[in-house]
Amino acid sequence: MYLDLNIKGNNYDSDLILAKEANHWGWNHISFNYKNNNYYNASAYLDQIKKNFTNKDFTNKNFTNKDFTIDLRCEISNNNCNQIQKNIRNFRPKTKCLSVLGGDSKVNRVACENIKIDILSRPYFKRKDCGINHVLAKEASENNVAIELCFKDILNSYLSYRAKLLMYFRDIINLYRKFEFPLILSSGASSIYDIRNPIDLTYFFKDIGLKDDEVLNSISNTPLNILKFNENRDNLILKGVKKIEGFNET
Amino acid sequence: MKLKILPPTLRKNNRYLAIDIKSEKEISKDELVIATWDACIRFKGECETSNFNLWVMRFYKLKNSNGYYHYKAILKCQRGFENQVRSSLSVLTKLKNHSISINTLGLSGTISGAISKYIN
Repeated sequence: MYLDLNIKGNNYDSDLILAKEANHWGWNHISFNYKNNNYYNASAYLDQIKKNFTNKDFTNKNFTNKDFTIDLRCEISNNNCNQIQKNIRNFRPKTKCLSVLGGDSKVNRVACENIKIDILSRPYFKRKDCGINHVLAKEASENNVAIELCFKDILNSYLSYRAKLLMYFRDIINLYRKFEFPLILSSGASSIYDIRNPIDLTYFFKDIGLKDDEVLNSISNTPLNILKFNENRDNLILKGVKKIEGFNET
Repeated sequence: MKLKILPPTLRKNNRYLAIDIKSEKEISKDELVIATWDACIRFKGECETSNFNLWVMRFYKLKNSNGYYHYKAILKCQRGFENQVRSSLSVLTKLKNHSISINTLGLSGTISGAISKYIN
């Protein structure tokens, strides 16, 4: 099962085309990534996308995917830590997947320390290092915050900048092996030219240095765990304590 | 004088990748050859790419749809390097300043197998 939690949402038409393309290439689940400002507009037409989306459109027998789900993800992008905390409080109950766009060292730290955040997206964004050190890696591991590597950053760069990005990816992978925080691989696609076959994507990340099981976890199990965990998040009272509905005390 | 063909045991073993190409602008087979070689050399380097033994065997133009040019092709590569070719092709995004994307449809041991399974 392949899940892509980062496909850039734009408007109804482009989202529908991207969803069809992702289905065609064998993805089982995609989440359209919207910034916190546009999240409410997007949630208005998500149901319409789901309704219009029919598997009958696809003729390619090898890649047609019948169990295909679409969802939204809210991405907080702000350099002000107080504003981020405010946005987290505001958006946490309304979305199944909440992420913070990294890059700034303070933002990376705030994201890794907050248990309410699911994903720290692109901690290396506009930086001259990978954006994560052993301290943040430990925090991310304790708070179960996933670190996201975005394939589109590789696609949009070339020569020395691409080489540097690959170096940052490897640095994050090394920390992932040591501290075992959740790692997520995503496409970050904003057009049909950015969507790739999930198997091609796995081979790319294997070439970088991830092992078979690590790639499978990052592209399948970890995103699935995040979505499942968030379905029951309302019932969590404390860390490790969950309210079970329908439980009879007598 | 033409060289004698190598006996089968000494020949290189090949695999055939069926690929799907979406391009913003119309491309020819020659341009695809340049694009695949360029992608592999850029991503894997000259030394590694020399092992790939890349050849575009077949090139099919499909009907245009959704505002892009759609093609399929059969690409020959050396056995054991298929995954590296796949990953190299997946990072190709631009050809002559126009967007292009290459996805792998599948892998086969023969050209006819690849055509019957992934092209038709």
